[in-house]
Amino acid sequence: MNVDRSAVLVLRVFLVLLFGVLVVFQTLSLPGQFRHMAEENPHDASLRWPATIVAAFLVLCVQVVVVAIWKLLSMVQEDRIFSEASFTWVNAILGAIGAAWVVLGCIFVLVGFNADDPGPIMLLLLVLVGVTVVGLLMIVMRALLRQATTLRTDLDGVI
Amino acid sequence: MAIVVRIDVELAKRKMSVGDFAEQVGLTPANVAVLKNGRAKAVRFSTLEAMCRVLECQPGDLLEWVDE
Repeated sequence: MNVDRSAVLVLRVFLVLLFGVLVVFQTLSLPGQFRHMAEENPHDASLRWPATIVAAFLVLCVQVVVVAIWKLLSMVQEDRIFSEASFTWVNAILGAIGAAWVVLGCIFVLVGFNADDPGPIMLLLLVLVGVTVVGLLMIVMRALLRQATTLRTDLDGVI
Repeated sequence: MAIVVRIDVELAKRKMSVGDFAEQVGLTPANVAVLKNGRAKAVRFSTLEAMCRVLECQPGDLLEWVDE
């Protein structure tokens, strides 16, 4: 396999970094932010825990994607990427993106009905459309992986 | 498989062992076994050429079509 080893190595370093930043966001930054917002606006304080849980879940979805990419990179390095086992991790990525999409869609609808300025709605719309594009791109890439796996299986049968 | 690879016949004619044949052609013994028992899906021309060179025969001597 002719995969750029240094690119994979650097990507792994940044995946670890990304995962670390996500954990900080999940456990410290976002809960702290929502606590601060609850203290600033006591009449919205009831939103503190739902917002904290939803934010932690969305970060969890990204973490699942990061772990799945890590596993797929290992399979690339061991030249096992064109096998049935890789679809488990590709489906994990698609599942995480799908779950995040549903949650983001619900937030979008809830905020859309309750917000009085268009700023947050447009920001949510941007994120929602972005996640949709990434999710659909993953479906296309999974189909390509399926084709490549079939070709590899056929070629392995050639003596 | 409707196409049979008659390696065993040519090997018997030349009194060559499967191990020697595999080594000279550059195949693994496992792949030679796949060819012999008709489980092969495809053969490279380079493999066919090497088999013909080692066995000093033509492709037609190795490949045979049988009606299933």
